[in-house]
Amino acid sequence: MSQRDERSMQPSMDGLAHWLIHHAARRAPDALSSRLEEEWLADLEARSSALSRLRFALGCCWATLVIASEYPRARVAAASAAAAGRGLVTLVDRNFGYFSLRSGTLFLIAGLHAALFYGLVTTLAHTRAAPPITDLVNRSVPEVPHKKLPLPQPSAELPKWIIDVPKVVDVRQEPDRPPDVVAKAAEEPTEPNWPGTETPPQTPPHIVKHVPGGTGAGFPDTADFYPSLSRHLEEQGISVVQVCVDTNGRLTSDPTIVTGSGSMRLDEGARKLARAGSGHYRPATEDGHPVNSCYPLGIRFQLKY
Amino acid sequence: MGKKDTDVRMSLQTLKVLEIFLENPTEQLAGAQVHQRCGIASGTLYPILLRLESAGWFVSKWETIDPSSLGRPRRRLYRLTSTGLRRASEVFASFNRGVLA
Repeated sequence: MSQRDERSMQPSMDGLAHWLIHHAARRAPDALSSRLEEEWLADLEARSSALSRLRFALGCCWATLVIASEYPRARVAAASAAAAGRGLVTLVDRNFGYFSLRSGTLFLIAGLHAALFYGLVTTLAHTRAAPPITDLVNRSVPEVPHKKLPLPQPSAELPKWIIDVPKVVDVRQEPDRPPDVVAKAAEEPTEPNWPGTETPPQTPPHIVKHVPGGTGAGFPDTADFYPSLSRHLEEQGISVVQVCVDTNGRLTSDPTIVTGSGSMRLDEGARKLARAGSGHYRPATEDGHPVNSCYPLGIRFQLKY
Repeated sequence: MGKKDTDVRMSLQTLKVLEIFLENPTEQLAGAQVHQRCGIASGTLYPILLRLESAGWFVSKWETIDPSSLGRPRRRLYRLTSTGLRRASEVFASFNRGVLA
């Protein structure tokens, strides 16, 4: 800045310097406010240039902050007891507990820098693209003349470990397959063949097509065995009876109640019905051949109005 | 400011200020004069002066002049106390003045 420019700006810079000193002194503790203002204005006059005076005034602003943070609180409280609470509030606001204003500012700035650095590092770590993979194989592996190596022969001393992997039965692909057959297939032993217990290769297991039995033609009507007292009492329910049937559809043992209906009369009627149906059961079949089997038979007693 | 004798946090700027006053312990100096001699900025200088005064090392008083006759306002003058002289001498003795060399 030339001397001419500085001379032309001098009134405004001097005014700014005075305003800064007034402002700084007002923000100082009340006990020191008037003294500092007068002292600084007097020392301001000792400065030769306007720029120097402005720099001095700016320094006074910083000095106010330092003085306010260091000035004992007790003195401020005593000094400002008769005055307005502005000085005390100002001083308290400029202190951060155990830290001075300067220390607090430094901690704040350091924390902000640390947070910014951490954010940059983590962001870059996520966004950094993987370096392009150069042709490392061609560079690092020297060319080796192709040599036909003999295949390793299996040693006779080595034990043979043969482990049969059980077949997975997909029930959904076989809708007509009865559930008990599926259960049999799933429960087949899957123990491996240990050395010395080799078994000849097995053919795929034959899956038996099992069709459960049920009631056949000529089976008695449930209404004929509805107990009269149950009709009168309007008892209704389902009795599940376990029946064992031979290949001719006859009972091989007396039917037993598996799940009661809640009424002994209905359960007894169900047993009578199951007995009366002997010879009219449809036997279970395996691969189309009738077999003896036992299965639960549900009998519903329901009144018709 | 109090007259009690307490420890003062010693910084290089504080030592520079004390050295200025130790050159002539009876001399009274204003802040502007201290600035002219040691070049410490006002933002640092005045807190040091107040700190030393609060610790009892300095005393200050207003200049007894007639502002109208001199054409300038009165200044605040600082002077070393006997305590300040003793303590400052101890500080420099401990440093053997090597810090400021």
